[in-house]
Amino acid sequence: MRRLRAMTAAYALAASLAPGPAAAADLVIFAAASLKNALDAVAAAWTEETGVTTAISYAASPALAKQIEEGAPADLFLSADLDWMDYLGTRNLIDPDTRRTLLGNRLVLVASDADAAPVTIAPGFDLAGLLGDGRLAMADVAAVPAGRYGKAALEALGVWGDVEARLAQAENVRAALAFVALGEAPYGIVYATDATAEDNVAVVGTFPEDSHPPILYPVAVTAASAHPDAAAFLDFLAGPVARAAFEAQGFTVIERAPADADAG
Amino acid sequence: MLTPDEWQALALSLKVSAWATAVSLPIGVLVALALARGRFWGRGLLNGLVHLPLILPPVVTGYLLLLSFGRRAPVGAFLEATFGIVFSFRWTGAALAAGVMAFPLVVRAIRLSIEAVDVRLEDAAGTLGAGRVWTFLVVTLPLILPGIIAGTILGFAKAMGEFGATITFVSNIPGETRTLPAAIYTFTQVPGGQPQAMRLTLIAIAVAMAALLASEAVARRVARRIRDA
Repeated sequence: MRRLRAMTAAYALAASLAPGPAAAADLVIFAAASLKNALDAVAAAWTEETGVTTAISYAASPALAKQIEEGAPADLFLSADLDWMDYLGTRNLIDPDTRRTLLGNRLVLVASDADAAPVTIAPGFDLAGLLGDGRLAMADVAAVPAGRYGKAALEALGVWGDVEARLAQAENVRAALAFVALGEAPYGIVYATDATAEDNVAVVGTFPEDSHPPILYPVAVTAASAHPDAAAFLDFLAGPVARAAFEAQGFTVIERAPADADAG
Repeated sequence: MLTPDEWQALALSLKVSAWATAVSLPIGVLVALALARGRFWGRGLLNGLVHLPLILPPVVTGYLLLLSFGRRAPVGAFLEATFGIVFSFRWTGAALAAGVMAFPLVVRAIRLSIEAVDVRLEDAAGTLGAGRVWTFLVVTLPLILPGIIAGTILGFAKAMGEFGATITFVSNIPGETRTLPAAIYTFTQVPGGQPQAMRLTLIAIAVAMAALLASEAVARRVARRIRDA
């Protein structure tokens, strides 16, 4: 009898570990690394309200998009830029009716030195001079949205050529932030929200909004998702509880445009 | 055949791996000797420490390296102030990460061959009047040569493939820390980069296979020579 019970327990465990849609399965969310603090809070509030648990995988948006393309069992995707959402959209891997633009963000220059002087970020500002023989920590400027926005801003301000050889590119924006927080790199370019989340860096300047393409976070339910609560979570993300959590981290919550609402 | 960027990544990988292996080898022999023959307090701890990079996720190893060998970290700051050695964002840091990751494989291979040595041969050398160091050099060392060679080549191959600890510790800087795996990773992160990633992947496979085949061939040859001697 005891043996039977052990076997039943083992079977239940195996069944719960097996992939596939089950009634009590976690809602699997793939989200850009920069969303971590805010989304953790939102997901906790959602679980408390509905009893539906979530499993959130945070990484750089391109890595997540590629994983979804390879068949990773994600129900929702929150990207840190429009391109990687478009990438999935053109491959019919997201449900286009559920797609909406959720959040906005800003780029800031952070320093590892808490007493670093504020920097006026304007065309031709002396970023190379600030760095000295140190490096400028950024997310990968070719692939990761935070890095691409940063490169665009530096190009628009005419200082990209001065610092291009002085970069320390990280795999995602939080890793770039860690380089600055640990003092490896004296300065870094990260999202305003990342700077809010890290006590060991000082924000010394904000990049002009017109120096880079608007930083927008689109969200969509994946085409492969069979989770019954995916759409409800999407609505929760746009609701008042989520709004407070996002704004506390420094995000701008994008109002849903009427045209958007019609499409949905 | 290869673009300058691809050559740069391949050459950097070879340089980083060569240094990582060259530095880990003598230390590896000493540690393997201590683990195989030593009877001292903390031997289990040493064994655990040596094997840690094999068990930990590479990102954790890289993060620990960052916390101990970074610019503001205790060991890193000391080395910079005393010897002017800087690991931060340099190829030397990539070599350190690769060396740490390869070290357990180097030690394991050498340790196994030390444990296989017939102690009576060393005892015989001793009774014939050879000192301990001399015995090690002329009796033990030739006997464990296959293990040393296997460890060298395995360690080199591991160093060539190291990625997680390297990118966490010293980032992904072209010409400085962008090794072959980091270059492959970079290409996979850019839409349309798949063909280049595939080319570099094939090169990585070729290098790894060559290293393994060479290791087998050399080990066989050495074993035959020892048998014949």
